[in-house]
Amino acid sequence: MRMPPFELLMPTSLEQALTLAGDFIAAGEEFDWIAGGTDLIPNYKWHLNSKAHVISLAKVAEMSELSSTHIGGMVRLHDLAESNITHPLLKEAAGSIASVMIRRSGTVGGNICLDTRCYWFNQTEDWRESIEWCHKCECGTDADCRVIANQNTLCVATYQADLAPAFLCLNATIHLASSKGKREMLLSDFFELDGMTRNVLQPGELVTHITLPSESSELTGCYHKLTLRDSWDFPEAGIAAAWKLSGEQISTLKIASTGLESIPRVHDDEVAAVLPDWSGKESIESLSEALRKSIKPVNNTGLKPNYRRKMVKVLARRCLNQILHK
Amino acid sequence: MSDEEDMVGYKQQPGKLPFSRPGSGGKDQFSDLQDENMIPESQGGKQSQPWGTHRHDELITSSSIGHRTPLIDARYKVTGQAQYGDDIRLNNELIGKILRSPHHFARIKSIDTSAAEALEGVIAIATGSDASNSFGVLPVTKDEHALAVSLVRHVGDLVAAVAAEDEATALQAVQLIEVEYEILDSIHDMKDGLEDSENPIHDRGKYHIGEANIQKRVFQEFGEVDKMIENANASHHSNWTFRGVNHGFTEPHATVANWDPRGRLTIYTPQQVPHYLHRSLADVLEIPMHQINVYRTFVGGGFGGKSDPFPHEMCAAILSRKSGRPVRITFDREEVFLTNRGRHPSHIEMNLHADSQGRLCGVETDALIDGGAFASFGHVTTYYNGVLHTAPYEIGAFHYTGARVWTNKPASGAMRGHGAVNSRCAFEVGLDDLSDKLQVDPMTFRLANLLPPLSATITGFRITSTGMRECLEKVRKASSWDERFRQLPLGHGIGVGCGFFISGSGLPIHWDPNKFPHATVHLKIDMDGGVTIHTGAAEIGQGSDTVVSQSVAEVLGLPLDMIRVRSKETDTAPVDLGSYSSRVTFMNANAAISAAMKIRQELIDATANITGADPKKIVLGDRRIYDKRNPAVGVSYLEALHKAQEDRGALVASGAYRTPPMGKAHKGAAAGLAPAYSFSAYVAEVKVDVETGQTSVINVWAAHDCGKALNPLAVEGQIIGSCHMGLGQVLSEEMVYGRTGHLLNGNLLDYKIPTVHEMPKVFPIIVESNDPEGPFGAKEAGEGPLLPILPAVCNAVYDAIGVRVDELPITPDRMHRSIEKLCRSQGVTDPLELKTPTLKLSPLQESLANRADEHEKRDIARRNNDDIEPYHNGALFGFTATLPPEEQSDDWKVSVMPSQEYIDNPRLAGTAWKHIERRHRGDDT
Repeated sequence: MRMPPFELLMPTSLEQALTLAGDFIAAGEEFDWIAGGTDLIPNYKWHLNSKAHVISLAKVAEMSELSSTHIGGMVRLHDLAESNITHPLLKEAAGSIASVMIRRSGTVGGNICLDTRCYWFNQTEDWRESIEWCHKCECGTDADCRVIANQNTLCVATYQADLAPAFLCLNATIHLASSKGKREMLLSDFFELDGMTRNVLQPGELVTHITLPSESSELTGCYHKLTLRDSWDFPEAGIAAAWKLSGEQISTLKIASTGLESIPRVHDDEVAAVLPDWSGKESIESLSEALRKSIKPVNNTGLKPNYRRKMVKVLARRCLNQILHK
Repeated sequence: MSDEEDMVGYKQQPGKLPFSRPGSGGKDQFSDLQDENMIPESQGGKQSQPWGTHRHDELITSSSIGHRTPLIDARYKVTGQAQYGDDIRLNNELIGKILRSPHHFARIKSIDTSAAEALEGVIAIATGSDASNSFGVLPVTKDEHALAVSLVRHVGDLVAAVAAEDEATALQAVQLIEVEYEILDSIHDMKDGLEDSENPIHDRGKYHIGEANIQKRVFQEFGEVDKMIENANASHHSNWTFRGVNHGFTEPHATVANWDPRGRLTIYTPQQVPHYLHRSLADVLEIPMHQINVYRTFVGGGFGGKSDPFPHEMCAAILSRKSGRPVRITFDREEVFLTNRGRHPSHIEMNLHADSQGRLCGVETDALIDGGAFASFGHVTTYYNGVLHTAPYEIGAFHYTGARVWTNKPASGAMRGHGAVNSRCAFEVGLDDLSDKLQVDPMTFRLANLLPPLSATITGFRITSTGMRECLEKVRKASSWDERFRQLPLGHGIGVGCGFFISGSGLPIHWDPNKFPHATVHLKIDMDGGVTIHTGAAEIGQGSDTVVSQSVAEVLGLPLDMIRVRSKETDTAPVDLGSYSSRVTFMNANAAISAAMKIRQELIDATANITGADPKKIVLGDRRIYDKRNPAVGVSYLEALHKAQEDRGALVASGAYRTPPMGKAHKGAAAGLAPAYSFSAYVAEVKVDVETGQTSVINVWAAHDCGKALNPLAVEGQIIGSCHMGLGQVLSEEMVYGRTGHLLNGNLLDYKIPTVHEMPKVFPIIVESNDPEGPFGAKEAGEGPLLPILPAVCNAVYDAIGVRVDELPITPDRMHRSIEKLCRSQGVTDPLELKTPTLKLSPLQESLANRADEHEKRDIARRNNDDIEPYHNGALFGFTATLPPEEQSDDWKVSVMPSQEYIDNPRLAGTAWKHIERRHRGDDT
């Protein structure tokens, strides 16, 4: 399998990287960032929306900073999972991603910006040509979505990154930069509901780092995910929860999901409905059921959507049962 | 150590160079004493022989057989020096790429290659018109072409091939080829293949079955078929769905073809069947076989997936002929999936009946198997789905209908456990269910129904040795079966499954008139003392080079480092049929032994000549040949060798193996007929997460009867590897076809091969039943060990949660659905409250246990008695054991044609018989 040819650029500072990007934007040329490459390279090998230029962030040292509240975009997943200063919830989620070899290469920024996945999209060029393409990689054909037929406005490819729900539960803030300047926002505002746009990143913009509020260290959490195998597989459903107890009472509870829709989601509404009258086991049951109802996966991954939906309830219950066991 | 020191004690003589040290010839200059523990009792050694003596006993020198031996080519692999298909780099090579069909089924109206030809760097382009001769691994079903001649039959079928200076140019050229297609209606559901079609995927002329897509159909009835229902005390009925699985070998197909300046073709390719490729190349290229050299490279896994001659190999040869340069073609993983030849997707109906005495009075199997677009080995697979579960049990009646259909998918073919795996799974799960219904222990039920050693199965297969009983008893003990079966908590269970597999195929694929042997081995030994083995047996990682070396080393009393194997090229290797049907150890080692025996005799004669000892009393030890009664009288191996070489130079010998005549005479009697059979029994321990449906296998106790473990290390490797491969099919692997008929998961991320995390702890247990026909008593260990893992896991799942599996793989979503169903039937909402199956033994248990005890005595008496009477399946049902039951009763059927009554009301695959073969329907097509 051959990648289409591209020009690889290796800036050595963030400023240089952003300038290069700005120049491409100004010249009207498209490019991709590459961090660990574990998502981009397979996609390039399959000729999925490849670009003529690729800017590597491998030599941008300032993006690799790691502290308990500051996680650089270029921090390797393995380092995040192995570090003693990483929040336990992040550690658990990071340590569950793919395999050791992939974690050694893959990065935090790359995982957060993971491209969405779909059976009709993650295929070779010949294969996609044989089904006359799909909306997400239409190759100039205006092809329809192959999951939700007869439309080419919405892409329902699935977001399957493990870190997002953990960061979301910890109220993380994401920091972006481009040649035009920097901006930051809550991670929950970063994602945009569409399998193609996925997030608010503008051309030429990248994720420099993610920060956690200092009080996040007071949160306890856990992450459960559904995969067919214990290694390699992307999550077919993932639920993270984080909570803080004041005596017997829950003072904070956050739940987020991944692997089910085009973006990860925070489930504040469902939590708000049960938290005031929290009664332990019954509340866990009704909250888990509410989560199941709120999530609508489509048929584009390995396991069937109705099953994944049912498993949301099981995974949520298993996460929340941890509260009782503390 | 200097040479002089080395030579102390050795009288230098003219013409004798320092390498010819007395007693040596290997790395170690001193010869070892024979290891008495490895010498059989029959030869005065200490190795006990509970299964009797063997014709090869006197050849045992204790040098190699039975030793845990790392494979002799292992270091090439672990140091990266092994050359696989894509590692062959010839000067001036071109890269070949293949244009594949984007359509499931279409007629090619035109192909325009002009734009591709005009591209700079493109040297040759081939299309179907360059080679219109068909080929196929079986001579009865040659339905493949190098490139599509007029029809493309599945997405990925080969349309054109390009050779260019580099890969990028070749890929670009492929895209420039314009093909105009007329799209035809494709079929994807194997059930549709049974119906008449306007455009059958193939046309077999007068042999075509109606207008349907039925490639092969089989009908077989043996025994008291009409009585099985009335005799039944308990019956099992199931309808199984098995998905297709792919071999998932590591190395993608890759081949290099080169025409040398003399006009001979050499093709370098990782092949399990170099000989069949050799024949097919001659057919397709229309050149004589002697003009072709098939060079088998290292094979990065085959498992049956490299046991067909392949179109891309033809393409490389055609492109090389056109361009006059070497052409290399290497596949992507997707192309491997599109080539497939994996296990057939199947619908199997399995009905079993047990009578009041707990005997298996009836087996009814109906197997519809999805062949994909080509025949491949399918003719054989169709038979194997039936006949390979007629043992190890004694059966009162056997009814089998099988059909293989063409569909517009990549071809199914042979895969480890060929044709036996799916129906064996259904059968063994059925036995578990029958035991449940009879309220007996499934172990005892099996033990009370086994065929004895030296017996004939219901279809006439000749069972020589069987260690089935020992396999069951050993796993029963090792797994603490009696304390745990039906006694573990919800979600935790154990289950048993057995297997039975051919050790080589009785009849070769090509029935040549001249009684060609199945395997031939040449030996050459020159003055240096090293032995060169020439064999065509394809080393595919299973260790065939090692086992042939061990066999020769054993007979000649030599260390392995004195043996070298030349097995790669058909120019130098005698014909061997290839690495399939688990035939290599059995046949090739037998051939090697017979060649080595000739050399051995020459060495003994030379020793007698030098020493004056009685040749009958002379034995071979480690590089020393001596009088058994007076070991001081003897010579070194080299001295004997040099004596034998006088006036003639190198010693050469040829040995061959051909199966003895056996089996019955009905149509299809040869399918499944083997010179010996392997047996196995596994107990699997599983945990099922009742809330998610996720199944994990924790422990497997795996007993396999391989006759004699020539290399226990390799046998254990085969057992563990088989467990892994079988676990894939039972837990997670399937080729998923989407609603458009396209393969959705033709890559190794989405095609879920179990990882190291999913791998249970496997406890291999080797049972050695000392097969009379096998080399040193050996039988196969490459495929049989895969069979029991599937039903053992399914039965363990039932023990754990009470779900009777009838669809593989047991993915969590499928299992969850079954659990929900079970919850509804038990009236519980929380699966954690499910009740698990219990075992309340019926009075039948005791009588079965008694029968098992009696049979054990019967079996031991038979295996240790050289002069025993025949035993035919049917004796358990009251027939005289010494005669075939069909000669005793008119009720005992032997039938291979369905009655009109059956055709009027057939099972699923049986509907294939509603069509009339064209030549029998009176039209002149």
